[in-house]
Parts: sequence; structure tokens; C-alpha cells
Amino acid sequence: MNDANTAAVDCEAIRAILDQRKDQMQLALKVCAHCSLCAESCFLFQVHDGDPRYMPSHKFINSLGKLYRRKGRVSREELEEIKEIVWRRCVLCTRCYCPLGVDIPEMIALTRSICRSQNVFFQYEDLPQV
Amino acid sequence: MVKAERKPLAEIKEAIQNYTRILNVGCGGCVSVCLVGGQKEVQLLNTQMNVMLQNDGRAGRLEGFTVERQCNRLHLVDLDERVARFDCLISMACGAGVQLLAERYPDKPVFPAVNTAAIGIDQEIGVYEERCRACGDCVLGYTGGICPVTRCAKGLFNGPCGGTNRGKCEVSNEIPCAWQEIYERLNAQNRLDDIKKLRQPMEWQNTVRRLIVQEPYRQRYTGPKA
Repeated sequence: MNDANTAAVDCEAIRAILDQRKDQMQLALKVCAHCSLCAESCFLFQVHDGDPRYMPSHKFINSLGKLYRRKGRVSREELEEIKEIVWRRCVLCTRCYCPLGVDIPEMIALTRSICRSQNVFFQYEDLPQV
Repeated sequence: MVKAERKPLAEIKEAIQNYTRILNVGCGGCVSVCLVGGQKEVQLLNTQMNVMLQNDGRAGRLEGFTVERQCNRLHLVDLDERVARFDCLISMACGAGVQLLAERYPDKPVFPAVNTAAIGIDQEIGVYEERCRACGDCVLGYTGGICPVTRCAKGLFNGPCGGTNRGKCEVSNEIPCAWQEIYERLNAQNRLDDIKKLRQPMEWQNTVRRLIVQEPYRQRYTGPKA
């Protein structure tokens, strides 16, 4: 758990980051046709037996898309949920492919950056030891 | 993955002594995984350094920012505007990240805060063991998956030296002799013929800078094969 996980979320700071990339985000969310072709290019989707939560489009729509729709007004708990999506379900290998040209890795990286701005980030020592 | 260790505070402090506005740049890649250069470690180092600067009565302050990968230009874009406000940068990434940072911001001094140590495996939380030195000519196929470059003190390719002693290396009784292990594994697999052939000396490719282009992409970047 992060030290500051009980601190209030600075929604205005999130909004400011979102505003800087508004055009790019709007376009990405608008052109995604939910065709699911990106799924085939994601090795995590493959190794999780086609679990739709690992589809690259699902990941960015439910992370950055959520932040965008809510104009940055999210709780710390919701940021923690987003953290799980953009760190645990994506390794940012940048191999995912969108036939319509959506730069999904960039959207995921932006989401991580927003999380980091609120001191929400994945801590590798929290991984279960085998 | 790449493993690194943090430099001593005194060394980092000495590097930044002529600067007052310092940005410490973390990396969300390998150095986060080995718990040395991610966002948490950036925060920790900044706290330590800020206290140290304060105790020394020195003006100056460290701020932190962590990018997803310092070894990928795409992830450095977010730094561009930010960097202008600082006199120098500290990088908590591996050597590749430090160099890319220095290349992108040539007017800013960049100082590493970690020593890139190895390509290794995770033994425990925070415990890593070197397994690969990126020599560029992997011999694991005939050595039973035991690397003589990293695990033999002399990096021998044709059996053990005279210093092998009851399965241990002459360097230390704690260190197993890599060639003893290679022999035992290959013997168990009935593959001893693999080490009976004389191997040519290694052409140490890691002494020159290498460019890695994966085969399916070779034509895209270098044109058709002759």
C-alpha cells in the first residue's frame, strides 16, 4: 500500500493532465469500434485464455476512459482499481495493435502517469512470493 | 531482467554539489521491479537528499518524476517541459536509461543514482542473482543451461581450471564450480559429448556497442538480405 493512500485525490491536477491530452483521448475513445482485433496482439489476453478484461481496448476504456468521463473526479479507491488494470493487466510491452490507429500503449502510459501524480503506483514488493 | 543497486548517498551528493534545482527521474521498468529506481525509491532518495542538503545548510531541492521506461523515447516526452526548470538531472534507471536521458537533454548534466549490476533472477524480495552478462553469443545450449560466463570466475569455455576443488571454485568455498555443475547436469542428461568438442574463444561482442534488430523486422530497417 502506498503511504499516501488515504490522502485526498487532487481531482483538479488529474483534470489538468487530462486537458493537456484531451484531443488525443477524445479521438481514441471515439474511434474505438470495439472490433476486438487488438485482443489478438496482446500476449496477456492469450495467456489468460481470452479473458476479455485483458483486451487492450477494455483496459484503456475502463481506465483512461473512466477518468475522462468523470473529468478526473475519482476517489482513491477508484484510482486503486485503475492501478490494477494498468499495471497488473498490462506490462506496457507496446505490442498491441489497433487497425484504426489508436495508440493504446500511450493511453495506458498516460493513465499510469495520472495515477503516479496521485501517488498511486504498483509496488513490486507487494507481489505474492512463490 | 536488468538488476541494479543504489549508489552510496555520499557519491550522489558529491555529483550534485554544484547544482540547486535537481530533478530525480525514476523508471517504471526493470529498476522498479528490483526495487531500486521506481517511484517509491525516487521519493525515498529525495527525502534523504533533502534532509542532507538541509543539514549541510545548502540551498537546493530535489523533485521527483517517474516515467514508465527511461529506455524508450516515447516515455520521455512528458519530461520535456519539466526538465527546463532544473539545473541537472539524477537518473535512477539502468545505464541505458541514463544515456537516453543525457542524449535527449544534452544541455543538462545527468547523474546516475544506481549502478547497473546484472541481468538476473529474483531469489527473494530484494534479492537478485546474476545469471547473464549479455555476452552476445549464448552457449547455454551446450553447457546444460549453466552459464560459464557469469558462473565461472574465469569465464572458461572448455572445462574447469586447475583450481576446482571438490565441486567448489578456488575463489571461494562458497561458490560452486560452474564446470562441475555443467558436467553433472550434462552427465545426468547423457549429453557429455556436448562438452567434448573444443570450443573457440568467445568473440567478446559486449565490448562494442551492439544494435539489436529482431529478424522479422530486419528487412524493415536494413533492407532485404543480400
